[in-house]
Amino acid sequence: MADARLEVTDTLGRRVVLVEKPVFAIGRRTESDLRVVSSDVSRDHAEIVRHGDGYLVRDRSSRYGTFVNGDGVTERALAHGDRIRLGRSGGAELVFLVEEAGSSVSNTSRGPVSAVETLRQMAALLEGLRALGSGHVLDEVLALVLDAAIEVTGAERAFIMLADTDGALHFTLARARGQVTLPGKTFDTSHKIPERVFATGETRIVSDLLDGHLANAHMGTVALGIRHVLCAPLRLVRYLHEPGAAPEQKRIGVLYLDSREKGTLLSPTTRTGVDTLATEAAVAIENARLYRETLEKGRLEQELRIAAEIQQGLLPDARYVGKGVEVVGASVPCRSIGGDFFEYLELPSGDFGFALGDVAGKGPPAALLTAALQGLFTAHASSEGGPAATLARVNRALIRRAVQNRFATMAYGVLSQGGRLTYSNAGHNPPMLFTRGGVRRLEQGGLVLGLFPHAQYEEETLQLDSGDVLVVFSDGVSEAIDVHGEEFGDDRIVSCISANRHLDPAALLDCLLATVRQFSEGTVQRDDVTAMIVRV
Amino acid sequence: MQIEERTAGSVTILDLKGKLTLGDGDTLLKDKVHSLLHQGRKHFLLNLGDVPYIDSAGIGEVVSTFATVSRQGGTLKLLNLTKRIHDLLVITKLVTVFETFSAESDAVRSFSSAAV
Repeated sequence: MADARLEVTDTLGRRVVLVEKPVFAIGRRTESDLRVVSSDVSRDHAEIVRHGDGYLVRDRSSRYGTFVNGDGVTERALAHGDRIRLGRSGGAELVFLVEEAGSSVSNTSRGPVSAVETLRQMAALLEGLRALGSGHVLDEVLALVLDAAIEVTGAERAFIMLADTDGALHFTLARARGQVTLPGKTFDTSHKIPERVFATGETRIVSDLLDGHLANAHMGTVALGIRHVLCAPLRLVRYLHEPGAAPEQKRIGVLYLDSREKGTLLSPTTRTGVDTLATEAAVAIENARLYRETLEKGRLEQELRIAAEIQQGLLPDARYVGKGVEVVGASVPCRSIGGDFFEYLELPSGDFGFALGDVAGKGPPAALLTAALQGLFTAHASSEGGPAATLARVNRALIRRAVQNRFATMAYGVLSQGGRLTYSNAGHNPPMLFTRGGVRRLEQGGLVLGLFPHAQYEEETLQLDSGDVLVVFSDGVSEAIDVHGEEFGDDRIVSCISANRHLDPAALLDCLLATVRQFSEGTVQRDDVTAMIVRV
Repeated sequence: MQIEERTAGSVTILDLKGKLTLGDGDTLLKDKVHSLLHQGRKHFLLNLGDVPYIDSAGIGEVVSTFATVSRQGGTLKLLNLTKRIHDLLVITKLVTVFETFSAESDAVRSFSSAAV
């Protein structure tokens, strides 16, 4: 019969201990032969006693009881494979093993020969990772490093702390024997050793870390009864191309190992091995970190693409045909998402409303405000009053919600079925009305939206004739520049529309946008380009 | 963008030099005026003669600086608008908000005719 063993699972993870005494004490207190860490375990909880040829377990008046294969017991003879639970379910569990170890149970201590062998494998593995450009994501690499470190040293737990850009260390991942990831909270250990190792760059081995009265001062570690610590810096070494230049070193964090048993943790071979491992690991971690950053950047681009689709979805259908009116609009953002919008409304009065707006700024911040403005406008346009009253309400609503210094311009027109147009212009480029009599700019209105709570808005009413064309546009049209830095300007809009007035609105809009595009060919688009053609 | 500071009596003249655009000096102006307000200065004249380009964020900054000064009981006026800035103020109707001048002496005098 082989030696009796207990496979222990508690907050530390999974480990195997030998039952090496005739009376083997189990409990939370330090003098126990097996210290088990769980809130359900009493200080002196139970004992395993050799009895004749076999073993039995005896409860020591524990608070939450001792269970064998689910039954509460005071004393019970043990058979191979019996499961002993200390306390309520979810507490610590021990599996009693007395027959030859199967492959599922790992040995706790490893000789230095085997450790060196593992290191070589590890080095080869990491070399492979490096060659692959670290296809593994960061957590996988960290877990790999920690498991290898535990394997090599026989430590119970291992963790990695990585430094942020300010040089502060952050707990990143902890693993216990048996390739178990520990939750962050369980690693409530002293930061002093890691910080000192990180600052000095020197590996430290600390034995009997806490004994006597010091124990109470270090709640975190003592609660776990840790006595042996090996902590090594994770060093990134860059070899420069200039001949003779010393390699650049950068510390990115620390590798920390601890154990209640000495194991091989304190041997010089282990220490050298861990230093080598830490250097290799630093390269793998850094590569993984870079890889993750690339991935995140890709995700951001993906999110922007989705945002752009959503934004285009917020715009109405490009073309609207109502009684006595046809409208077509388009918006081309200069970045993936923009700050312009246009909107058509069938008002409760039966009139047709159309608006085009431009939020100051570009990109995501402007796009968010644009979505808000579009919503506010749609909500307020349906209530009583004409365009001026609507803009005044939108202005006040925007001020209540808007960010400082952000403002918007907007032109809003309402067309009744008799061809009467009432409009108000809140600081927007004046829309152009092309009639048989010539071109007229629609300038009546008031201040830009979102800056002045008491801004007043005026409106003007015009009678349109059949065939009149109204062009509403954002400054991205009039201020498009060519390669010489010259602006497209209002005059080019006038000549483009005048020359093509016979086209239907959709073709006229295409023509205008194509002219702008040709004009600014070879330059980077600086602003969102949005335009709308209204024909009665 | 750079800001140079001069005084003419109780008036602080700020000579702005360079583009006033998103991310390019757009907070510099506010910070400058904030610190001057803390020093007890109340009357500001922004000389925009050497600002070749201003975008909507730049306009927003001038307006918010104007609002800050007004709230503290001060005044802010504009001097030497380029055609571009003038056109932009006309389009946005902000020209009705600002007092603008093309001669520095007139501008400085205007502060003293109002109660200083």
